[in-house]
Amino acid sequence: MHLQRIEATSFRNLTGSVEFSSGLNVVYGANAQGKSSWLEAIYLLATTKSFRTSHPKEAIRHDANEAILRGTVARGNLTKDLQLLITESAKQAFVNGKREAVARYLGNLNAIAFTADEMQIVRGAPESRRRFLDRGIFFTLPSYLGALNEYNRVLKQKNALLREASDSDDPAKYFDLIQPWNDQLVALGSEIHAARVNYVNELRAHLNPGLFQAEEIAIRYKSSLEGRGDLGDYANLLKERLSLRLKNEIAVGYSLVGPHRDDLEILCDSYEISRFGSSGQQRSALLILDLAQMSVYYQVFEEYPIFLIDDLDAELDRTRIEILLDHLDGRSQTIVSTSKRTIAERYRHRARTLLVESGRAVEDEVLMKEGNAI
Amino acid sequence: MLDYAEPVTKLIDEFKRLPGIGHKSAQRLAFHVLKAPQEETDRLIEAIREVKEKIVFCSTCNNLTDVDPCRYCSGHSRDRSVICVVEEPYNLVAIEKTREYHGLYHVLHGALSPIRGIGPEELRIKNLLERLRPNESGESSVKEIILATNPNTEGEATANYLARLLKPLGFRITRIAMGLPVGSDLEYADEVTMHKALANRHEI
Ligand SMILES: [Zn+2]
Repeated sequence: MHLQRIEATSFRNLTGSVEFSSGLNVVYGANAQGKSSWLEAIYLLATTKSFRTSHPKEAIRHDANEAILRGTVARGNLTKDLQLLITESAKQAFVNGKREAVARYLGNLNAIAFTADEMQIVRGAPESRRRFLDRGIFFTLPSYLGALNEYNRVLKQKNALLREASDSDDPAKYFDLIQPWNDQLVALGSEIHAARVNYVNELRAHLNPGLFQAEEIAIRYKSSLEGRGDLGDYANLLKERLSLRLKNEIAVGYSLVGPHRDDLEILCDSYEISRFGSSGQQRSALLILDLAQMSVYYQVFEEYPIFLIDDLDAELDRTRIEILLDHLDGRSQTIVSTSKRTIAERYRHRARTLLVESGRAVEDEVLMKEGNAI
Repeated sequence: MLDYAEPVTKLIDEFKRLPGIGHKSAQRLAFHVLKAPQEETDRLIEAIREVKEKIVFCSTCNNLTDVDPCRYCSGHSRDRSVICVVEEPYNLVAIEKTREYHGLYHVLHGALSPIRGIGPEELRIKNLLERLRPNESGESSVKEIILATNPNTEGEATANYLARLLKPLGFRITRIAMGLPVGSDLEYADEVTMHKALANRHEI
């Protein structure tokens, strides 16, 4: 799978279109010229989500009502035209000119992005790690998104009841009302737990723990019910914990039990990386996780998603960049952005190099000529 | 200053209160009314007046009706041993269209949704319990209750709540099955529906 071409209309300050090679592509330019916006556009076209903002409408240019991203994706000899229309109130997706539901649109182009925000996975709260897992599972198991959405909806309903109960003089009368929501949490929560445990096992099998040599990365799904009973019989354990802690949940006014409290444990030389890892170790760990996610994806679909790295040199040192690019070579279409011309020059012999100025990306002829001359 | 003369604005505002009607649609409807011949608008006004005057909720099953009790509740050919519980009157119509169900109905007028402040008190559950109360000889004519609330989290919670409430009273409680729409191709089923259909497969 690779993106041949993308065109942006009224999207941030971008103009025109860009063509990519199926291997390594380096997009470079001074800050605020639009190199990250091109990567954002690609990620948005692939996932309908932005890695910069949770409100993609912010990317619509001030003088326009809507932004349009168009791309051509190649899979073997097949090509497909994808289009994403972003308006003030909605996003519309099209495949070969025909409107498609987002659930059906997704999967035509899959992308993994390594960005400053993604560092939250190895640095931040469990929530980002759960999201990392959920996104990976959804790649390979489409019905998972439905279970997850339903779980979150049930949780919201239950939390509304818990808030009410905690304010009430007679919390006991809420027990029977909470039960129907707990029953659904057990069914959906077990499904989510099983999918995540399974996915982490898959990831572990594809983990290349010493890729960057310096450190050993290990992962484990850490259920919030660990040490509370038999995780092998998760549905029963969850049911038991939910009824056991109902009074505590009412006391605090929100839900305390379930897979929305779980975590992915990432260990670096057997220390928890988010707390004890150095910044370099955290970057290595995230890359190793991303690459494992790509391998799991490959195992299912026999093709690789595209890999995006925003601000390459800000996030990675030279050694890591070399190892990473060597690893990706021949596997995944890779599109990286950098503000340093020296980096673009270093890889010109093996990459398509694009210079971004005022939102327009052009093949850098000077670099190309120099590259050919060597 | 108002965009339109006051009566027009007033009409647009009233249309905007209707479910699923935004500002643009309300405007379109208002201008349709303005342009329409007098007979047409009189008919609409009369239809609204009539429905408000003549249609009431059945005191037994809460269905919409012009006679109380409604035709289902008073029908002699209906099977009085089974009650099908639905969320809205239009759900009842959908089931009735099959012509295969001959039992009684009970309309809840909603589903449990704590976010929207809808609890059991807001649903018509009390008169369901009254219907199920045993007679002098200690028996109830009802044997089975079919829970036909919607297959979403709210409908599921409502069915679950009712099951817990009614099962201890000795009734047979059933839940309608969920799965693929018949007559369509498997390829058109969304992943979630397909997932549920697979999970609920049965031996043949
Ligand atoms: Zn009736």
